[in-house]
Amino acid sequence: MNMRFPRPLIAFIVFMVASVTQAQAIPPIQQAQLENGVRVLLMEAHNVPMVSMKLTMSAGSRFDATDKGGTASLLADMLSDHTARHGHIAWDDLLDADAIKLGAGAGRDDFSLSLTVLKDALNTGLDAFSEALLQPGWNKKRFSILKHDAIAAAQKSREEPGVRAAQAAAALLFPQHPYGHRPGGTMASLKRISIADLKTLYAAQIKPADAVLAVSGDITMAELLPLLNARLSVWKGKAARGLMDISPAKGVAGKQRDVALPTTQMLVQLLRLGPARNDADFFPVFVLNHMLGGGGFGSRLMEEVREQRGLVYGVYSYFQPLAVPGPFVITLQTRADQAKEAESVVRDVLAAMASGKISKQQMIASKENLIGSFAQRMDSNRERVGLISMIGLYHLPLDYLSRWQQRVQAVTLDQIRVQAARYLKPEQWNRVRVGPKSAL
Amino acid sequence: MPLRLMFILSLFVSFCVAGASAAELQQATFKNGVKLIVEEDHSAPVAMVQIWLKVGGRDEVPGKTGLAHVFEHMMFKGSKKLAPGEYSKRISAMGGNDNAFTSTDYTAYFETVPASRVNEVIAMEAERFAHLALRDKDFQKEIRVIMEERRMRTEDDPNSRMFEELSAASLRLHPYRNPVIGWMQDLKKLTIDDVKAFYKQHYVPGNVVVVVVGDVDFKQLKKRVASTFGRMKARPVMPRFNPTEPEPFGPKRIVVKLPAQLPMLAVTIPVPVWKPGVNDTEAAALALATHILAGGRSARMSRELVDEKRLAFNTGAGYDESAMGLDLWYAYGMLGSKQTPEAFEKAFWKLLDEMARKPVSSKQLAAAKRNMTAANIFAQDSLYLRAKQIGHLEVVGIGAANRDNWLKAIEQVTPADIQKAVAHWLIRDRSTTGILIPEVKS
Repeated sequence: MNMRFPRPLIAFIVFMVASVTQAQAIPPIQQAQLENGVRVLLMEAHNVPMVSMKLTMSAGSRFDATDKGGTASLLADMLSDHTARHGHIAWDDLLDADAIKLGAGAGRDDFSLSLTVLKDALNTGLDAFSEALLQPGWNKKRFSILKHDAIAAAQKSREEPGVRAAQAAAALLFPQHPYGHRPGGTMASLKRISIADLKTLYAAQIKPADAVLAVSGDITMAELLPLLNARLSVWKGKAARGLMDISPAKGVAGKQRDVALPTTQMLVQLLRLGPARNDADFFPVFVLNHMLGGGGFGSRLMEEVREQRGLVYGVYSYFQPLAVPGPFVITLQTRADQAKEAESVVRDVLAAMASGKISKQQMIASKENLIGSFAQRMDSNRERVGLISMIGLYHLPLDYLSRWQQRVQAVTLDQIRVQAARYLKPEQWNRVRVGPKSAL
Repeated sequence: MPLRLMFILSLFVSFCVAGASAAELQQATFKNGVKLIVEEDHSAPVAMVQIWLKVGGRDEVPGKTGLAHVFEHMMFKGSKKLAPGEYSKRISAMGGNDNAFTSTDYTAYFETVPASRVNEVIAMEAERFAHLALRDKDFQKEIRVIMEERRMRTEDDPNSRMFEELSAASLRLHPYRNPVIGWMQDLKKLTIDDVKAFYKQHYVPGNVVVVVVGDVDFKQLKKRVASTFGRMKARPVMPRFNPTEPEPFGPKRIVVKLPAQLPMLAVTIPVPVWKPGVNDTEAAALALATHILAGGRSARMSRELVDEKRLAFNTGAGYDESAMGLDLWYAYGMLGSKQTPEAFEKAFWKLLDEMARKPVSSKQLAAAKRNMTAANIFAQDSLYLRAKQIGHLEVVGIGAANRDNWLKAIEQVTPADIQKAVAHWLIRDRSTTGILIPEVKS
């Protein structure tokens, strides 16, 4: 099936930025705290008999030991694979028997364990969820299998220009920094990981004190709390390192990296550091990015590079707001011999916007779209759980969603111009290219 | 993964057939052939509008592949009332998102918007459907964009490329042999006149199904569709190209040499699709067999071929019961550096032979049924998937009214039905095998 615009990108951007529509449409986020410190954040939704939840801790890939990138990711694989009480076959059978969707994953800051179940399987689902969390199996044979499959997948992913670019980008933007590698790791880094590394990470960071459990679905807080207390009260302690125990990367400008890959297109990425999640100017930068290349059709980059010149299928920009400044990225793919032209169009757009050439009309169009589309950004349990756990992990206020539209609306053209001057000067951006040797 | 197969996979995983929570469908058909199907859901003030057309890759003539998909681009390039790009700008200003997708069997345009704006969206959709501008200047730009799309999705992706070759080798007549995005050679030759001729022939009211799911009122919406799409002049509807694929005479195989890192082996087999009331048990048995092979955590391909025998690091299989004419069933194994296509292939067929010989356990069958039912309920959580299921069933000829009958068919399947379906359909003599050999390290 073909799509006019790459949807996964849209989903990605939506997830990262959080959002909200008609204020009356947003159910409140309810908060409770378990005795061991776990913050429970719930948004009720009773239209489908299901419950989704995600437990998030500060234990992502930035806690991987040096040269052992992929440790958190492998820990996620291990925790969901089997437990001390159930070998992997019995475990898979047990979960499938009740259609329990259990998963785990690692981002740069976050490590999460997630569960989606039918309402009538909530009890067995929570049993499995807490068993996976609290009774890891550490089976050596399974570790070896998961590790080897992860290495093979890492090798396969070397065929993908996007993966190669992300690897180069992480190393370029974050030299000697915990954000300097992809969460999945590489063939070489995965090979160096032992089961002891997983146990070390688990013992240090998988703790309840700063954990957030985001829940959305057909349940109330009164129903949920006893179920959680019965299963999670034995879990105790505080993570060795907190979310904010990290120094910002220094920032680089004008650097370049090229990766040779025998493809017909060249992937061109321009990169720099963007705002952190708690940046005081988050909303002005957010609206600015929507105008630049975050808003799909209608954004300046899409208009100039695709609509006016037909050079690409897609060009977009995004920033990843983390505990400290994360990547701000502009990315496009075009036939290799057109790469220079496409890049110079992007740089012209950056220069124009940095010098203040931004119209009020365009700002209004971006704000209208952002504000109007807020409701649909949270119209499923999966999306709501994603937003709520982000709010919890980064300690954003609980009225973040209900005030979101207001804060977008309050952004002024002057504020946007200030941020454009701060972020969009072409000489401050770095470049990664992935494509055929002959065109590099 | 090829576009069509990728699409089938996602459909397979998410295909929802009305669980207890699905609301009732309300339908209306207008004199010119336009159909409206609505599922009201007042839980949030949003609505999903999808315009489904019984037009897709199968309606192209040889040498003009990719033409149906060109419309997915040109529909945003202006109409009598709207300048190029204006359509999306208006949707965006109302806080909506718009997009479109094309398959061999259909084209669909959709918008998620605040519920209060649905009337406006229906009017805009009707206007561009009836009065598309189709200027050569825009076409020349868009065809370049489409070639970039093809380079990105297919030329530079060895898995995709391999599945494209494999589909072409698997079928002799059926249009699933052609890529929806079109062969590059055809894309280079398409002209604005081709586009205009296709538009005239296929963008007719009798090919339109309007699907709306969300916070709307059916009666009010019926009036709106009557005064927009319903007003268009009736025009002849071309019968769709749906040839009978000749039976395979024996196993076929191809080798695809591309720059890649690791080998892959894939198998395709033409199998029947669901015809309600005619082959419910057979189609449902094929779906369950596929789920047991590749669907859940306990999937037999991953358990036996990946975990036990260590012959691949990733496996998958897919069946789309609501394809048109036939479905190209598929299975694949991603192979690590020390895993060989020969060993994987042998073990794969041994597994299928065993499923034909021995009944699956009642525990395994019950889990597969439970997971397919649950997937259906989980999918109710997404307006997009709900509307998509309705539109899809309607345009391929199964009929949205049949959506509840699929799970009923699934419930009825016995271990013997699965054995029978596997023994009859999923056999070497009907298969085509493709092997991706990394020519140079990518």
